[in-house]
Amino acid sequence: MSNEIALGAGAGLSTELASEHHEHHEHHQSFITKYIFSTDHKMISKQFLITGIIWAFLGGLMSVLFRLQLGYPDSHFYWLQDVLGKFWVEDGRITPQAYYALVTIHGTVMVFFVLTAGLSGTFANFLIPLQIGARDMASPFMNMLSYWFFLAAGLVMLSSLFVETGPFSGGWVAYAPLSALRDASPGSKSGMDLWLISIILFVVSSLLGGLNYIATILNMRTKGMSMTRLPLTIWALFFTAVIGVLSFPVLFSGFILLIFDRNFGTSFYLSDIFINGVGALPNEGGTAILYQHLFWFLGHPEVYIVLLPAMGMASEIMSVNARKPIFGYMAMIGSLFAICILSFLVWAHHMFVSGLNPFVGSVFVLLTLLIAVPSAIKVFNWLTTLWRGNIRFTPGMLFTIGFVSLFISGGLTGIWLGDSALDIHLHDTYFVIAHFHLVMGVASMFGMFAGIYHWFPKMYGRYMNNTLAYIHFWITLAGAYLIFWPMHYEGLAGMPRRYYDYSSWESFKQFAELNRFISTVVIITFATQLLFIFNFFYSIFKGRKVTTKNPWGANTLEWTTPINPGHGNWEGEIPEVHRWAYDYNKDGREFIPQTEPVGADESQH
Amino acid sequence: MSTTTATATTKWWSGGKSPFNVEYGKIMMWYFLMSDTFTFGALLISYGTTRFATQGWPDPNHVFNSFPGLGSGYPLLFVSLMTFILILSSVTMVLAVQAGQNMNKKGVVINLIFTIIGGLAFLSCQAWEWTHLFHEGAWWGRNPFINADGTQSTTNFTNFFFTITGFHGFHVFSGVVINVIMLIMALNNTFEKKGHYLMIEKAGLYWHFVDLVWVFVFTCFYLV
Amino acid sequence: MEDLRILDDAHAVAARKEVYRVTIILSVLTIIELALGYSMVNMSEQSFSRHLIKGIILILMLAKAFYIVAYFMHLKHEIRNLIMTIVLPLGLFIWFIIAFLADGNSFRELRNKYAPYDQESNIPVQQKVHGEHEKGTIELKKAVE
Repeated sequence: MSNEIALGAGAGLSTELASEHHEHHEHHQSFITKYIFSTDHKMISKQFLITGIIWAFLGGLMSVLFRLQLGYPDSHFYWLQDVLGKFWVEDGRITPQAYYALVTIHGTVMVFFVLTAGLSGTFANFLIPLQIGARDMASPFMNMLSYWFFLAAGLVMLSSLFVETGPFSGGWVAYAPLSALRDASPGSKSGMDLWLISIILFVVSSLLGGLNYIATILNMRTKGMSMTRLPLTIWALFFTAVIGVLSFPVLFSGFILLIFDRNFGTSFYLSDIFINGVGALPNEGGTAILYQHLFWFLGHPEVYIVLLPAMGMASEIMSVNARKPIFGYMAMIGSLFAICILSFLVWAHHMFVSGLNPFVGSVFVLLTLLIAVPSAIKVFNWLTTLWRGNIRFTPGMLFTIGFVSLFISGGLTGIWLGDSALDIHLHDTYFVIAHFHLVMGVASMFGMFAGIYHWFPKMYGRYMNNTLAYIHFWITLAGAYLIFWPMHYEGLAGMPRRYYDYSSWESFKQFAELNRFISTVVIITFATQLLFIFNFFYSIFKGRKVTTKNPWGANTLEWTTPINPGHGNWEGEIPEVHRWAYDYNKDGREFIPQTEPVGADESQH
Repeated sequence: MSTTTATATTKWWSGGKSPFNVEYGKIMMWYFLMSDTFTFGALLISYGTTRFATQGWPDPNHVFNSFPGLGSGYPLLFVSLMTFILILSSVTMVLAVQAGQNMNKKGVVINLIFTIIGGLAFLSCQAWEWTHLFHEGAWWGRNPFINADGTQSTTNFTNFFFTITGFHGFHVFSGVVINVIMLIMALNNTFEKKGHYLMIEKAGLYWHFVDLVWVFVFTCFYLV
Repeated sequence: MEDLRILDDAHAVAARKEVYRVTIILSVLTIIELALGYSMVNMSEQSFSRHLIKGIILILMLAKAFYIVAYFMHLKHEIRNLIMTIVLPLGLFIWFIIAFLADGNSFRELRNKYAPYDQESNIPVQQKVHGEHEKGTIELKKAVE
């Protein structure tokens, strides 16, 4: 790897040189170099985005399938059997094995492929060079590799759906011993091998990308673009990359040990195990809690990898569309930094009932609850940014406001779950599902939608259809709350997650109707996402064309590029930056782009 | 790299230049090594955690006490040799980097050759040690050694030993490969044509990191 | 990058001297470590002096790491910003190590308390009875639940 790093040496600082180089290349690009093995950060970001959308579709479809089982446990869907085959559907019902496989792959795909690669992969690639004023990433080649490793990871994961024993089915956290023993379940056989390969490829991809993002943001900002003039998107993407670079390797180490446990007879995570039909295993001396520690040392920062880009984009889009400076810019950076640090200190709050030492647990409670402080700072800053703003309700802005709403609703329940005493009751119930889907799943999804609607004109030089976007927004927002809000009540009543069928429990029979309601809303909401996908692809080719460089009246640098920027982004010189990104409604002017020098009689911001 | 005579008033963060006064490749190498630090850190911390969770542990002085040609009964002797080999190869790597900074091709080539020899010597030592332990009955999932207090030991002693030293050995191996590539490029005058030997510095960082990791692996497995 | 060429000779000589100095320091530290390690050969496993020596060895390990990073990897001569971005994230290791080791220790204590016959240390070599273990498993799982 160090070779690639070293190969491009020297190109980092001489952006002027690079510009001439790129402009002359524009004309003789073949299809393959332009669309497939592209080193242009904009094309790579589109590759990440479209791959992410495909994965989001598949991941969403999986959730529809397992919600069918949960909502309609007595119904038979014979047509599904014809489509999916016997492994997945038997006698018109999703098989238990398939149910667990669907839950597992839904989680893995959504967290890693959609909300990590699809979100920060897309927007880090697209926005970093454009917003800091660079021709491209520090190492475009590594950037390309990052995408190809991601694609390979996705293909391996996809192939695991088609192996005879089925994909991995032990939950996206892949706890040992289900993940460590081939005989533990059908999905623990070759499905788990493919799952591991896929995630390791993904770690490589994320590392290649992350190093690139960090080096680019630090080294390649244009003249005048000091760190405190960066748009908050860039700050958020910067911290996201830092978290990724420091936490993914720990997962990688955990997986190395897991691979040895699976294949080479070690017992890092195994001790005293008896399997029906196999007998007592010789493995002695390991502890499964070690795996959980290693997993969550990544797993918790991972939720911030998912969430921070959404936070950054929300800040930017909100300020642009409220026509107001973002409230508390430095506080926003400070809280991002605090979240970044704290995300590494709280992992064991996922393990309160695992056998974790209660005293150690109590320290984790304290550290966990500290996260509420920066999160609250961010929420109040967003609300005060909206306060008395001259709000334009573009689709991007609506999704941003939706993001804030979901972040608040989902975040508050985090305070409950972060408390180790309450967690004894709530752990592994639907309450947890409701919490993390609202706060990180749907909220980040909303951030992603906001980003797509807002930057689509820059990506493709066309607008997305507004009517479809409004329908998409309202149904998705209502759907998100209608799906996940009732789950809080189910969870408080003690209904556990990851069960195939609740009808045999007297206590949970009362929720049969509610489950059916949730599943119905899931189907409607999923159908609405197809509307978005249609809108996205239709608008790429047929959308209304953008006619001005700066359609939103925004201050940031990406809107100073041509409507369809070529490789190298700016024709001629890269603009110099003279002010921060949030001079909206200042001195009687609606917006003042960052490139405009500070006037003599201008008031201080 | 053009502002080595920077004064204290330089505004490092104002954009248009590197806040660290280094080119991006070196930044990436540093942060890659940070990332790798967490990989090794996690492995060693897992080892520590398992050791804390286990009743007894073999005494390394009784396990690693052989020297080729001398037989057993020499605790720490062989691993001391390995340690010094790696430290010396690190020294020659620094000298290669310094020669590169002075555009001294001959110095780069000679010191790189010494570094590669050191790396290969270390790998050979490790191969001998692994083979020796294997013949004593140790391997992944097999632990012939007993705890210091004479009781049955868990296989995690050998499991962690082979996994972590193996992972380190893999890093040494890739470091040797990188150094061989650097040597070939130096001999082909690639760096002379480029006008700088910055790549040697990055390879050097990686090589020192391998040495650094050995400091921790050596202490954690052989000493404490 | 051109001015790399015109590094004056005095600087180069000083840099080389520094390398030799650090080599000697590293060698001396290693020899002290080895001597300490050797002194533990026949010390009892749980004795205070053994733990003390182990502690000293760990401190020496950190000292060696400092010399390698600061001088061989040249970090000490980089500008302060870079040093801070490398050193500060390492602070994350403090809680990483404490939490992991504390929980590992707690796992052993819990096992000793709730599944006392399951300790490997109670099993003398060559007399390992497998039936004992399975019983222990069930008890342990009950205890954890």
